[in-house]
Amino acid sequence: MSSRWRRSVGELALRGRQRGECERAQEALGRVTSCFQQLAVSLGSSADGSFLRDEMDETRHLAQRICRGLSRRLLRLLSDCGPAPSGVEDRQVSERLWVLFLSALEHFLSDLRQAHDLIGRFPLRQRNDRRSLVNTGCMDGVVAVAARVASVQAPWLTMEEEQSPDLTNHIAELEAMLSEMQLRVPVAFWSVEATQLAGAERGGLEGLQEGEDSLEELMEGEGGSRRPAFCCLTCV
Amino acid sequence: MTIRRARPDRLQHFRPRMHCLKKLEAVVVEMQSGVKGSEQKLNVTTIPHVITGKDVIAWITNKMKSTTEESEAFGTMLVAYGYIYPLQNHRKLVMCNDSSLYRFQTPYFWPTQKWVAEDSDYAIYLAKRNIRKKGLLEPYEQAHYNHLHEWLNHKWDFIVMQATEQYKAGKERRKPDRVVFDCQERAYWIVNKPPRRTHSAMDSGLELLIDPNSDEKIPFDTYRRMNLFYQQAIMSSKVKSSVSLGALNKYVATYKNHDPFLAPCLPSNPWLTDNDSYWTLNMRQVEVPTKMRVERWSFSLFELLRDLRGRDDFKVFLKKEFSGENLAFWEAAEELKWGTASSMTSKAETIFKTFLVPGAPRWINIDGRTMGLTVKGLDHPHRYVLEAAQTHVFLLMKKDTFFRYLKSPVYKEIQKKALNPEAHNFSPAQLEHNAQNRSPGIHPLILWQLAEAEKAKAAAASVPVDVKALMSKLDRMK
Repeated sequence: MSSRWRRSVGELALRGRQRGECERAQEALGRVTSCFQQLAVSLGSSADGSFLRDEMDETRHLAQRICRGLSRRLLRLLSDCGPAPSGVEDRQVSERLWVLFLSALEHFLSDLRQAHDLIGRFPLRQRNDRRSLVNTGCMDGVVAVAARVASVQAPWLTMEEEQSPDLTNHIAELEAMLSEMQLRVPVAFWSVEATQLAGAERGGLEGLQEGEDSLEELMEGEGGSRRPAFCCLTCV
Repeated sequence: MTIRRARPDRLQHFRPRMHCLKKLEAVVVEMQSGVKGSEQKLNVTTIPHVITGKDVIAWITNKMKSTTEESEAFGTMLVAYGYIYPLQNHRKLVMCNDSSLYRFQTPYFWPTQKWVAEDSDYAIYLAKRNIRKKGLLEPYEQAHYNHLHEWLNHKWDFIVMQATEQYKAGKERRKPDRVVFDCQERAYWIVNKPPRRTHSAMDSGLELLIDPNSDEKIPFDTYRRMNLFYQQAIMSSKVKSSVSLGALNKYVATYKNHDPFLAPCLPSNPWLTDNDSYWTLNMRQVEVPTKMRVERWSFSLFELLRDLRGRDDFKVFLKKEFSGENLAFWEAAEELKWGTASSMTSKAETIFKTFLVPGAPRWINIDGRTMGLTVKGLDHPHRYVLEAAQTHVFLLMKKDTFFRYLKSPVYKEIQKKALNPEAHNFSPAQLEHNAQNRSPGIHPLILWQLAEAEKAKAAAASVPVDVKALMSKLDRMK
């Protein structure tokens, strides 16, 4: 009797650790996907080049490793959760993680598809292709973004070494992962509720906001004195 | 975790209006080497690749060998689709033929036919903006934000996390690139979720079942049907083209001054100038109609009867002539045609008693054959039972009463009294003023109440004139 109790405590602790691992991995995934988006925005523009595309591949592989590991752990977490009566709250937390991961996966997948499309449209195989790049005003500056990606650590990076697929296969693999996860575990995603109220994020980043006002002024200041007076009246 | 669409997916997601995007992209890519870019100097940085409106329009005029107006329209379409965005006055998606500044949008933010802008992406953008502007979103953005917070509540944590991460990732870039990226993103969302009074080209219109990009394979059955159709077309009776063209010619000559596309509306077209005096002057109940309206009544009896104000005038004339029963019968037959099915038997009975019975108070004079058919049909009344009689009456009115009306003093008087409003001539500042002070119009309830009051008055006035009583009154007066 007591050994069973001790075993379930052990299980709870293990599950708690696994959840913590998943949460950290989720944050890492968010960082990597947002960096990927910053890189993808420059595709086809004057800042495009082989360096950018290599960086995108690196980012993508990292994201893929995190995704694979996270999906395996979440599947294990949520299919184990059934028999043990570990409480409704635990299940809710796991379901929230599940929903967050699937949303992140969908978001990343749409970015990947967009990138795939753009690379198809602007293949930089020959010298002349550079003439078709769009002059958008971005010169480069993805070096810092690449550094940010390199600083990401996922809990299981050191453990697993698998091969990295190219873009088409990557997309196919993620789609398969998405449908498999949705089929294997029935989670009612609409029952997950947000932990934050609307607008709560605005107070959260005090330290990072010093440079922001000048940025806003720069964006608005492009209008300068040319903007007609009644523009403000139409801004409703 | 997204609910893709509320309605079942019947493969209706090919957006045909976006079919032109492939050609537009080719043009934009060509423009890269053609249009000269310059640098934009801001407070602390300079950003390259800024183009002026007039350079773009000159390039388009040169390449497409078109006029300046067409190039301006084409340029505005490029801005409205989001391939080029304006740097000053970012809400107005037009291309001005002067030195206003624009920049090319990065291909990541180009519009695509395959995908619609996602709601969760918009939510992430709004959350990022919320962070950046410390809660001071524009009202329409705030409304979208609240709506999305409710609908995407299950993934809201993800949205906030992603927005924070994207914000931090954006900060890693150099300042000029950050400015450019923020402008690009803002321009993308202004095109896809336009604020009020911004006209972007992203309306998707009807969604088709057929993919306009794919080639169509015509099956065998279609050819068989085409054959049948053409065989029948050969055998059908035809009108000589000279005859039909003559009719078309006459129609165009008659109506060309009344078409709002070909001739300017007096005083001004409300859709263009946002001034609705044209509509108020031409309302149903107006005392004095406009000259154009009165002229239109003279074109045919159909036009006269269709305009209810003209019908009123015609009734005044007929009352003077004591021959109102034809029009009354015509109106009653219209009411039967358009009325509810439940009222049909009662209406048919009243019509029979009032108009068709020999010796009825408002007996109409139609030929014996039509009368016989109608009376027989009224045993089992249906919607179109009075069709033959109504046509006969209409022809009677058209051949006789209508021309007398046009020569009558009633019509001539209303022609003299009719208003001829002066054309408005608004300056652009006045047009903007009009656009902001648009009146909400008349509430439909009020219109309905007026119509009901009108109907009650007409019912009271159309108490059947008893011919015998009238004749005896006249005798007594003598």
